[in-house]
Amino acid sequence: MMKRDPALFMALVTVWLSFAVFIFLPFLRLLGATFVVDGKLSLANVKTVLSKAYNVKALYGSLVLATAVSITGTVVGYLFALAVTRTRISKVTKGIIGAVAMLPLISPPFTSSISLTLALGPNGMLLKALGIGDFSIYGFLGTWISETLTYFPVAFMVITAVLNTMSATLDDAALSLGASRWRMFRTLTIPLSLPAIVNSILLLFGASLADFATPLILGGHAFPVLPTEAYLLITGMFDLKGGATMSFLLLVPALLVFFLQRMMLGKKSFVSVTGKSGSRTEFARLPQSLNVVIAVVCLIVVAFIIYLYAIILWGSLVKVWSVNNTPTLEHYRYVFKHGQKAIKDTVLIAIISTVIGSLLAVVIGFMIQRKEFVGRRLLEFSSMLNYALPGTVVGIAYIIAFNTKPLVLTGTLSILVAAYVFRYYATGIRSVIASLEQIDPALEEASLSLGAGTVRTFTHITVPLIIPALISGMRYLFIHCMTAISATIFLVSVRWTLLTTRILESMTELQFSQASAFSIVLIAIVFLADFILKHVLKFTTAHITRSQEISYEQIGA
Amino acid sequence: MKSMKKALIVLSMIGLLLAPVFAAGVQEKASTTLNVYTIMPEKYATTVFEEFTKDTGIQVNFVRLSSGEALARLIAEKANPQVDALWGGPADTYEAGVLEGVFEVYVPSEASAIPAQFKSSKGYWTGIGVIPLTFLSSNSFLKEKGLQPPTSWNDLLDPRYYNALQMADVRTSGTATERVYSLIQVWGEDKAYEYQKQLHKNIQLYTKSGAGGAMPIATGQAGSGIFYIVDALDIQQQGYDLVISYPVEGVTYGVEGSGIVKGAKNLDAAKKLMDWASSKRLGQVMVDNKINYIPTRPDVVVTNPALDMSKVKLLETSVAWKGANRERLVQRWIDEVIQGQ
Repeated sequence: MMKRDPALFMALVTVWLSFAVFIFLPFLRLLGATFVVDGKLSLANVKTVLSKAYNVKALYGSLVLATAVSITGTVVGYLFALAVTRTRISKVTKGIIGAVAMLPLISPPFTSSISLTLALGPNGMLLKALGIGDFSIYGFLGTWISETLTYFPVAFMVITAVLNTMSATLDDAALSLGASRWRMFRTLTIPLSLPAIVNSILLLFGASLADFATPLILGGHAFPVLPTEAYLLITGMFDLKGGATMSFLLLVPALLVFFLQRMMLGKKSFVSVTGKSGSRTEFARLPQSLNVVIAVVCLIVVAFIIYLYAIILWGSLVKVWSVNNTPTLEHYRYVFKHGQKAIKDTVLIAIISTVIGSLLAVVIGFMIQRKEFVGRRLLEFSSMLNYALPGTVVGIAYIIAFNTKPLVLTGTLSILVAAYVFRYYATGIRSVIASLEQIDPALEEASLSLGAGTVRTFTHITVPLIIPALISGMRYLFIHCMTAISATIFLVSVRWTLLTTRILESMTELQFSQASAFSIVLIAIVFLADFILKHVLKFTTAHITRSQEISYEQIGA
Repeated sequence: MKSMKKALIVLSMIGLLLAPVFAAGVQEKASTTLNVYTIMPEKYATTVFEEFTKDTGIQVNFVRLSSGEALARLIAEKANPQVDALWGGPADTYEAGVLEGVFEVYVPSEASAIPAQFKSSKGYWTGIGVIPLTFLSSNSFLKEKGLQPPTSWNDLLDPRYYNALQMADVRTSGTATERVYSLIQVWGEDKAYEYQKQLHKNIQLYTKSGAGGAMPIATGQAGSGIFYIVDALDIQQQGYDLVISYPVEGVTYGVEGSGIVKGAKNLDAAKKLMDWASSKRLGQVMVDNKINYIPTRPDVVVTNPALDMSKVKLLETSVAWKGANRERLVQRWIDEVIQGQ
């Protein structure tokens, strides 16, 4: 196979080489920190960590939280995806839903956590308004709500992309064969979107498992989770070994979810884009009762998100929050005066990371789903490794690995780019795979048998078909590069600084108004970039997609 | 075929060459720039370094980190230091760093004018400011519960403070470890931990950073907490309805340090910063700009009455003792206060 496919061989060499440097090297250095004690292999560190009841509680807490968030997040995301792809509500409403659903994703998690405490915390405004007295947001409940709000947009994006690539003629067939709308939804729409559902659960589980910022603000001391405990251990006790060991405990559930996903999806066929279908028709209506559920959930979630971000916007526009409500633009002047460098750096880093990351995602996703080669599973697993590890640990591992020769990268732009690319391209890979699972390989086989080479087939058949999935992957990557903090808080330097760390600084320095202004600016940049990205891609791929029948107009906002 | 190959070549180029290219692109003039990690809040550091640049012509690049993060980084970067100096932050962080070998000995030109308890006996760090602990309470909360501003540590055990206290987590915050030192000075270690177990029942939240609880108190989410004076005054000066009070049993104070990182690439510039910091000039800059540290130079006149410590009982704890006992005390706090519940 390899001999006949030199392009695959070259791609493999490149990908494995980059993995060796940016995934395995830091990982091995970290393994060393965990399992080598006084120059010898030892389990002493693991024993120490597991001997403490509080750490076991943290492991348990992490698992419960990740499970809860992955389920609620996926359900809410699925309902939102149905709303924009399967209902008859106006395009404007769909645009609003898509835009609002993006908000939690494009602001750093601690921003919404803080407005959440202002709304639902002790003496919270919403609690007062609703007349609820004794309610504690700190602990499992608050963390769960906040993480569901933060991560359901991921599910929304992944599922929307797949719901859009389904063939509507199947709906027609089901209905004309006499199936009820419920039966059609249950036996057709849901099973066909199963890859997206499972991928969404996997992504959300991983994201929640690795999130340290939300539990840090909302978890309180009664609900410990591992990444936060690891972070506290590293930054508070300067105990890198203990922190690294704790994070390794997270690898076990991450691996478990990964193999579960392989088992569930391994043998089934989800092909719905076959090239054999006739002209495109509209998707069939959903059952009425489901429409009601969708309307209620979307309305509540959208209203709540708007409320939370209104607090932030308000905070950025008044002199002293809740004390002096005189409108002012002084916080924005502060942001553009003192935060200019951070804004420029962040945007530059995000653009570079998105371009490199999505190139890699397409190549890797394609190889994993469509090619047969030795070590395919290992490649798939390795590609997800940095994503599965908590960001704090990746950050520390990068510092240790790239601060000494031969590769001295600390303090450079490249280390930030590499951390982002090899952590967040995972979403791109997952959505490329999910969308390839829907596309019949017969389309590519036809191209091959008609004499096109593997490369021509890839660029002219496969790439156009997965473009909607790729766009959603790219958008997610860009957003994450703009907002993520856990890994890169250890990698920012005197030369390269990020907006998110500036926001966290403003928060810890009690500059709530400046933090709000920074957040609003960040959100505006992401929205603008997202808009440009979508339209540029639509324009440049117009000539390919005109002949295809895939519309990606509806992939959310 | 060509396009794919091209794409692959580009890909490999990006993957493998980008890094060194960017790394090599970073060159700077040695004597006129200085790279610093600052634990001192950014808004203060900006002002202070601007004045330093005015006086010496040396440009300062800095990034603000919490004390734990800063030290974790200095240790991780030991083989190839990314900065020349550490600025601000509790002196026990410096002592912990000395044990890890990340600091360089340098005695600044005017260090002799700084009292011995405000600087390293071996010359690893020099104090730039002093900050006692203080109670910070919301006036509206006190009124609502019919309370007076707390004047004793025991006042905070009152059930009326139930679920109303926010203060920093001992694992991440220098403010919080200072609280532990204060209590040990007041009652001895065992009784101090007994007290903290009692206090824990009234705690709403332990925050990551030392100042993290001040905003919730200002906005009425919490009622009271324990902070360094610099943070308490800062939020009070923003216009919130807050009251600052001190316990009669006394409080310890933090010494904010400064020191040169071992292997500093701009050693001369770093020495200039230390010399400047030991002069009266720094104290004056802080007084003039309402940066609420008490200068370590006794000959700088403090104008803010809130920083007048004549009526406050200040307890002495040597920085060396703090550094040597910190880890053990934090572990005990986790074991007994956090997990013991």
